[in-house]
Amino acid sequence: MAATAAGRVLTLCRQFQVGLRISSALPIKQPGLSFSGSMICSLRQTSSLFAQKHVGIAAQCRSLHTSQCKMGLDEFFDIPENWGETTVKSGAPWTAKQLRTKSNEDLHKLWYVLLKERNMLLTVEQESKRQRRSMPSPERLRKVERSMLRLDSVVKEREDAIRLLQTGQEHARPGAWRRNIFGKTYWYKFTEHQIPWYLNQRYKRKRFYTPLFVNPFIRLRLEQYLRHKTRKDRAERGRQRKLKVKISQQQSAKA
Amino acid sequence: MARRVLYPLYQIGNPQLRVFRPNFFLTLVRPGKELPPDTVQFRIPIEMTKCDVKNYLENIYNVPVGAVRTRIQYGTNKKRNHLNQRVKTPDYKVAYVQLPQQQTFEFPNIFPDKDEKPAEGSMEELQDKFMEDEKQRQKPDPRRGGVTDWFGL
Repeated sequence: MAATAAGRVLTLCRQFQVGLRISSALPIKQPGLSFSGSMICSLRQTSSLFAQKHVGIAAQCRSLHTSQCKMGLDEFFDIPENWGETTVKSGAPWTAKQLRTKSNEDLHKLWYVLLKERNMLLTVEQESKRQRRSMPSPERLRKVERSMLRLDSVVKEREDAIRLLQTGQEHARPGAWRRNIFGKTYWYKFTEHQIPWYLNQRYKRKRFYTPLFVNPFIRLRLEQYLRHKTRKDRAERGRQRKLKVKISQQQSAKA
Repeated sequence: MARRVLYPLYQIGNPQLRVFRPNFFLTLVRPGKELPPDTVQFRIPIEMTKCDVKNYLENIYNVPVGAVRTRIQYGTNKKRNHLNQRVKTPDYKVAYVQLPQQQTFEFPNIFPDKDEKPAEGSMEELQDKFMEDEKQRQKPDPRRGGVTDWFGL
């Protein structure tokens, strides 16, 4: 009887060891996306690793309680190791050059990583405002914002390229240069309508032409613009001249 | 779902509209007034709707959502700038998300007090030492028994 009990304990121990080994081997497998320049999401990755380790152990002994939901809302906060720290390490934001080397799928995944990171940072920022403390490493927020902007621009580049290849359309949203009744030329964006334009009363009320009697006013506007421009340029030139005189005086005083 | 997106006109039978890169950002905030334990408070962009919040949390964060209630918080315009003009603080939407199945959520204390001693010979340590010294100097003489300096010689 005692022998069987000892054997059971041994097997349990071995299982536990195996679980640990698996969880320690996981980090090598984890960066399947190969975010080589992944500075910002590295912390999150480690946190997810941390969670996986916990899950790995939890899978071994069922008595540990973990709920999926709790993990979900915890993603709105930094990893508990960083709580109360004054500075949190973070790397550089993603550059467009780095992002261009990634596949569409990777970019899609990275967007959600960045989105979660940004939500987390916004939460931390709000909480620090509320408690009247300084936010730990506030530059992270700007880094994430810039990465997201770049990611967006990279995706738009690809969309543009595909559109140009397939349809030859230059703009994602079609439009045209039009003149209004004041003689201003502007970019008119087209919108979809349920009815053709000749049935659309509201569209027909719009005037995309310039009457002849507006011409003198167009000329006046042009004159005003040129006058403002020359005035500004002259002021700027005078400022430069004064500066030059001042600098030369300073240099002569030094010498 | 996302901000600043022009959707195609919907015709019956069209496929469901999808958003590939949602640009909505939620902020989980500590509730100002006491809420039931199963309710989570968020600050969300004004354009977001209840259905959006539900889809967002369920699909991105994998959080089951029971019910969502929203309101719009009016940002004050009582403040004045140095030219005595009214300055408006922006409005925002507040979402109260109720979790199903008696799940509870409590906002954690993410700024716990850590008493860590600064590194030996660092600037902070010197500063701390200096401040302590100054405090010691500012203290009144205990031998005077609380009598102010004014009565001294």
